[in-house]
Amino acid sequence: MTTLTLIWIVLPFMVGFIIYLLPKGDRYLALMGAVASALYVIPLFVQQTPINLQLLDNFGVTLVLDPLAGFFILTNALVTAAVIIYCWRSDRTAFFYAQVILLHGSVNAAFACSDFISLYVALEVISIATFLLIAYPRSDRSIWIGLRYLFVSNVAMLFYLIGAVLVYKATHSFTFSGLRVSPPEAIALIFLGLLAKGGIFISGLWLPLTHAESESPVSALMSGVVVKAGVLPLLRCALLIEEIDPIVRIFGVSTALLGVSFAVFEKDTKRLLAFSTVSQMGFILAAPAVGGFYALTHGLVKASLFLTVSKLPSRNFKELQQQSIPTNIWINLVIAGFSISGFPMLAGFGAKILTLKNVFSWQDVGMNVAAVGTTIAFAKFIFLPHQSAVEAQPAKSKTDFWVAIAILLGGLFVANIVYYEAYSLENVVKPLVTIAIGWLAYWLILRRSVVNLPVIFEEFDNLIGVMGLILVLLFWMAVS
Amino acid sequence: MKIISMDVMSSGVIAYFVVIAARQGVFTPILGDTPRTNYADPVPQAVILTAIVIGFSIQALMLVGAIKLARNNPTLEIHEIEKSDLV
Repeated sequence: MTTLTLIWIVLPFMVGFIIYLLPKGDRYLALMGAVASALYVIPLFVQQTPINLQLLDNFGVTLVLDPLAGFFILTNALVTAAVIIYCWRSDRTAFFYAQVILLHGSVNAAFACSDFISLYVALEVISIATFLLIAYPRSDRSIWIGLRYLFVSNVAMLFYLIGAVLVYKATHSFTFSGLRVSPPEAIALIFLGLLAKGGIFISGLWLPLTHAESESPVSALMSGVVVKAGVLPLLRCALLIEEIDPIVRIFGVSTALLGVSFAVFEKDTKRLLAFSTVSQMGFILAAPAVGGFYALTHGLVKASLFLTVSKLPSRNFKELQQQSIPTNIWINLVIAGFSISGFPMLAGFGAKILTLKNVFSWQDVGMNVAAVGTTIAFAKFIFLPHQSAVEAQPAKSKTDFWVAIAILLGGLFVANIVYYEAYSLENVVKPLVTIAIGWLAYWLILRRSVVNLPVIFEEFDNLIGVMGLILVLLFWMAVS
Repeated sequence: MKIISMDVMSSGVIAYFVVIAARQGVFTPILGDTPRTNYADPVPQAVILTAIVIGFSIQALMLVGAIKLARNNPTLEIHEIEKSDLV
């Protein structure tokens, strides 16, 4: 199993470089890399025992692979495969596919490693690969979005690095468990880095613009898996050390509320999805023990939504309400929207029940409000007018799209089985009531209201400034 | 300007790593003829080497991006560039 793990870590990088050498086979190679890591996950779930690897002596790289990481890795594999298939017939060059598979590999590495320095390296590789993907169209706008992303994440990672050396100073090792005895400023600095990377709370407000403005496949990748690279280490720390657990939970609830309150008033489809990502990260953090399953369902839903939205004629909800969209695309939106709102029969239902069961009582109110907010936000998608329109697009580009969507949504149905105990009467009724409240609120109030929320927090200067404020906040939370 | 300031930040972090490494002594941890105890700690130094390389490559990448942007926005003022993104 040890050799298998090592091969699995290295494989995507190897594939990435081979793609440069053999640009003809780019798509096949990239797809193979993604499928390989999907297959690798199976023994993880079968064994159920975590694998701990300590490479290169005491100060070397440590890897931990357990079912929690397994969920994240599976998400990564499925989303990457879907994105590659989605781009199958587009005229993207081998460079694009190489970056996708390198990104896949580095995200895998970030999920697997359990010491601060390997994590740092993995996260930085992610930043670079993501920047190259965002800037792939080479337009001014995309370059600026990419620069902004790179800058924010690099500054966050510098803070993180200071935190990492403080941990080393206290314990003479870089492992996650060293955080227990390290001073509060170390916790604050490391968490700031991870929170900014994971797009959580106010320090994560770089995310909506970045995710909304990049190309659809890239946003699907970013929303589906890249943000989770910052989230999984937070979950791990929270599970390892009890003192950190409440901090992570508080951030979970506040992120869920913040993201959802922006999403409800959003008028642009992609921005709505991006804000919803922010809030869903909150759901994952709110219950660290079961976050993995939620991450899987969210990754599948969000990737399929981003890919579907790219097929809509417009990005503005106002315009979309005037004209009707093809029924088959609408059905996608409905399935994904239902899953994320927690409708029974889909994986989102089980995930939501599991999360809400594992939260503390003080979190309960916040999480339920956030759940209602999610349904309100996605009611916008579900109630779009639709008709079986004439097929204007050529058929060949459509098959790729449908295969990609089928992987993601099929995954939702299959994952539904994982937590079948959720189907009790009480559990089924509750999300239905939540959805009903959400839709009612949507029809009564929000359909007509026009609220413009300030975007001032998303301005570049403020992003960096807010990071400092969060740092102070985190410090006092860690001290108390 | 911001890219340069980020560079300054990362230099600060690197310097901090070196200071931590030199807490117990400043001698190179190589076995020699004269026995010593106050060796510098090699681990943070090894780690920061990786960080320097990564920081350097990111720096280069960002400057390339800035050059590209400068073609259409010669002043490189963030407010001007961002105006179209945040409506």
